Amino acid sequence: MKVTLKVFRYNPENGGQPRYDVFHLDVDPNDRVLDLLEMVKGYHDGSLSYRRSCAHGICGSDAMRINGRNRLACKTLVKDLGDTIVVEPILGLPVLKDLIVDMEPFFQAYRKVMPWFINNDPPPEKERLQTPEERARFDDTTKCILCAACTTSCPVFWADGSYFGPAAIVNAHRFIFDSRDQAAEERLAILAQEEGVWRCRTSFNCTEACPREIQITKAIAEVKRAILTGDLS
Amino acid sequence: MSDPKTALQGYVRYRAVGQVAFLLHRLTGLGVLFFLIIHIVDTAFVYFVPELYEHAIQLYRSLPFMIGEIFLVWAVFYHGLNGLRIIIFDLWKPEWWEREFAIKSVYWVLVISVLLWLPAAFTMAKHAIEYYSGG
Repeated sequence: MKVTLKVFRYNPENGGQPRYDVFHLDVDPNDRVLDLLEMVKGYHDGSLSYRRSCAHGICGSDAMRINGRNRLACKTLVKDLGDTIVVEPILGLPVLKDLIVDMEPFFQAYRKVMPWFINNDPPPEKERLQTPEERARFDDTTKCILCAACTTSCPVFWADGSYFGPAAIVNAHRFIFDSRDQAAEERLAILAQEEGVWRCRTSFNCTEACPREIQITKAIAEVKRAILTGDLS
Repeated sequence: MSDPKTALQGYVRYRAVGQVAFLLHRLTGLGVLFFLIIHIVDTAFVYFVPELYEHAIQLYRSLPFMIGEIFLVWAVFYHGLNGLRIIIFDLWKPEWWEREFAIKSVYWVLVISVLLWLPAAFTMAKHAIEYYSGG
């Protein structure tokens, strides 16, 4: 099938004026948007810049705005988009070049919620045991690949980048509700701050954008409730 | 990077169902607030500038105002219902923030708000037509 691919271009070393380049491509309906970008880079314009690594929806490198909504280019099929495809960088993070954004503000917020396991008890001889039910409590939020599709789909984050954003809260949720972790209170105190969960206006864009289908708004609501009640069950 | 310009670009160009409810909630809220402000101002005219009050009442009888009031009723219904949806989901049933159910709830709120609005819209439109056809 023939498609028209419209790609956002920006090169700060080249005058810095953003523009859209149009490419007319002959593609297979089962091709992914990433395949189209590879085709453009290989055969039409080698200067096109974008991030990609595993190309199989695991590394979270190629989140971009495709036809107005955040998706992973490696998981989005051409046949689901129609014959005109517009590809733009994710919103709310500074664009470095073409489809590449500066992810540092995103990772700064991520680090603030202490996304690592904290347990000051001496390690047991074998392992820290947990029942299947205790493990299931935070299973959904373990799936995050830090692609930033959720945070950069959030209207609150667009207006004010100091908001931690959905991804940071999801990763805090993963440890807050882990029965083996001992720093839930500390994390809840961090998320109760001005830049934390109360900035969430439940617009639901994050849940719709997540390529791993994490129920993000639900996870944020659970964190809000834990802050209010102190109940981690 | 995040700023009002980025936010505006997102509001206008980002495509998601949840965002429709998010934007309508804010637009209807601002609309109702704007109407309340002018209503408080014109009612205050009775005391402060009585001759302007008569003029304000005439303005309310103008066609654009009558049409605007019909949509105001929908704005009140929508804002109230969507607010209830968010309160129930957030405070009572966080598990309802599940992808398919939450998206369906956006459509349901739209449908219910229109159904509640139709009788009032019909009555108000009938009144406006009668007023302008000399009835």
